[in-house]
Amino acid sequence: MAWDSRHLQLDGIVGPFADVLLAADLPLLPVDRRAEAVQFVQRRICVIPSFTRFGVTVIGLLYRGLLAAPGGAAVARFLSSKPLPVLGEYPRLIRSLGYAYIWERWPDTMPSGATQ
Amino acid sequence: MDAEVLVVGSGAGGATTATVLAEAGFDVLIVEEGQWVEQGSVLPFSLDQMEQQYRSGGVTVALGLPSIAYTEGRCAGGGTEINSGLYRRPPDDVLQKWAVDYEIAELDHDEVLTIATEVEQTINVTTVPGPASAPSEVLRRGAERLGWLNSEIPRWMKYANGDPQSGQRQSMTRTYLPRAVAAGARLATGCRIDALQMSGGNAHRATTTLSDGSRGTIRFRHVFVCGGAIQTPALLQRSRITGHIGRSLAVHPTVKLAARFADELNVPDDVPVHQVKEFAPDLSFGGSASQPGLVALALSDQWDTFGRAVTDWRRISVYYAAITSEGRGRVRAVRGLRDPIVTYGLTRRDRALLGSGLARLALLMLEAGADEVYPSFRGAPLVRKRSDLAAMRSRFSAAKASVMTVHLCSTVPMGEDTTKCGANSFGRVHGTTNVWVNDASLLPTAPGVNPQGTVMALAIRNARRFASSERSRG
Repeated sequence: MAWDSRHLQLDGIVGPFADVLLAADLPLLPVDRRAEAVQFVQRRICVIPSFTRFGVTVIGLLYRGLLAAPGGAAVARFLSSKPLPVLGEYPRLIRSLGYAYIWERWPDTMPSGATQ
Repeated sequence: MDAEVLVVGSGAGGATTATVLAEAGFDVLIVEEGQWVEQGSVLPFSLDQMEQQYRSGGVTVALGLPSIAYTEGRCAGGGTEINSGLYRRPPDDVLQKWAVDYEIAELDHDEVLTIATEVEQTINVTTVPGPASAPSEVLRRGAERLGWLNSEIPRWMKYANGDPQSGQRQSMTRTYLPRAVAAGARLATGCRIDALQMSGGNAHRATTTLSDGSRGTIRFRHVFVCGGAIQTPALLQRSRITGHIGRSLAVHPTVKLAARFADELNVPDDVPVHQVKEFAPDLSFGGSASQPGLVALALSDQWDTFGRAVTDWRRISVYYAAITSEGRGRVRAVRGLRDPIVTYGLTRRDRALLGSGLARLALLMLEAGADEVYPSFRGAPLVRKRSDLAAMRSRFSAAKASVMTVHLCSTVPMGEDTTKCGANSFGRVHGTTNVWVNDASLLPTAPGVNPQGTVMALAIRNARRFASSERSRG
C-alpha cells in the first residue's frame, strides 16, 4: 500500500501555526471565524498531494517547535512576514487558504479582520 | 468488470474517445476517479467547487523557483466542468510545426479542422448574445485605447432566449458523456486506476481503488489513458512503461494583478470572454475568476499595502498575463507515493516575459480606467499612473510572484521521433501494443491558445483511426 502522509496527524501541526498567523495578520477577526478558517486550512492541507504534504509537515514541525519555545510566536510571526525561499512558502500557503476562505465566506470582512 | 476498451478519465480527451468508440460499436468502460457533480449544484469558481471537482481541493503545485500552482479537474467531465469554457480552434501554424518537428504522420490540417467543426456544433461554441460582462469590457476597452488586437473568445455555452446571464456550459457531462452512454458505454465514477498490469508491451488488466477504499481489477483488450497531462504519465510510470513519458511538461505560466475601478464590476461566478492577443503567441491577456476570496488572494502577497482594498472587492476584478513558455517540467511517479512529483523550470526568457507581460497588463488596466492596480508579487508597488510602471518593472521578479497555470500538456508527446515522443502519431504508447494516450499529454508543445479544442479534435481523430484499423483487422 502506498505511503500516505494523511496518516500523520496534521491537525496538531498546521492548526496552531495557522491560528497564530491569522491572529497576527487579522487581529480583529472574531475568534469563532478564525477557528472556522483554521479548520478549513487543516482540511485542505490534508488533501494536498503527498509530496507537498510531506514538505508542509516538515516545515510545519519546525514552526511548531518554534511556537513551543519562549518568544517563539514572535519569531514565527516575523519569519512568516518575510519572503524566505522554501520556508516562506509554508506561511504563504496557509495565508492564501485562510484569506480565500475568510473573504469568500464573509466577503465584507475588513482588512483587519473586523466585521462591518 | 471487463471491457473491450477501457477509457481512463472522462474529460475532453476521455469523453470524446469513449463517444467515438462506443458509437463505432466497441464495448467501452469509462472510469473516472472523481464523482459526477451536476452543474448548478456548486457555485462556479468557489471553494466548494474546488473541494468537489478539483484534484486536491485545487491546491496542486509544480515545484520550482518559483513554484507554479496548477489545477486539475477531478470529476466526471474533468477540466471541462471547471474551466472558463473558452474555445480556440487548433492553430494551423502550430499543427504544421508539430507535424514537422515531431514527425507526426498524417496530421492533416483539413481533417483536424473538419473534426473541430463537428466539435463546435456538438458543444455549441458561441459568443455571448449581447454585451459582454463589465470585467470583459475592461479588456476590450483598454486594448482598443492602446490599439492592441483583442477579441471575444467564443465558449461552449447555451443561452436561453438570448439572455447573456443564462449561460449553461456545454461541458462533457452535457454533451459527449451522455452520447457515449446512449451508445452503450458504461461510466464508473469514484474509481481510481492504480496501475496497468503489463506482459511485455501488452496491458491486460488494471488494478483499481474505489472511493470507499476497496480494491479491484478490470480486464480489457485495449486501454486509452486520458487522465490529463499530470495523471496520464503518472499512471504509465506506475505501470512501469518507460520511454519519453512525463519528461516534457509544457504549460502557459501566468501572473496576475487585481484592478480597481470607479464602478462596481465584479462578477463572482464567471470569467471575462475577451482576450488581448497583440503579443501572441508569446503573451496573452485575459480575465480570471474574481470571487471575493480570490480577490483577497490576489492582494495577499502585499497585504500591508494592498489589503485595505479588499473591502472594495465589488469594484475589483482579477486579470492575468499568460506566456508561451520555453521552460519544461517533469512528472515523476515515485514508488510508495500516491501522487506524482511535478516540477517546472522557467527559463530566463520566461521570467523576463512574465515581467514585461505584467507591466503591459497593468498599462492596459490604466488605459481602461483603473483607479489602482495591485500586481500579485511580493514587494509590488501600487500602480496608479503610467509613471508607476517603471518601478513595478524594476521590482518584479518571477521568484516573488504568484505564478499559476491551468493549461498543462506535452507529457507524452505524439510523433514518430522516439527520442522525444512517448506515443506514436495516433496516440499508441511507443513500446506497447494496446496502450493509448488520448488527452492533452499528446500535444507536443503548449499551443499558445486555450488547448481543449485541440485536445478534442485530436482525440477524435485518433479514436477514429483506432476504430477503423481495429475493424479492418476484424
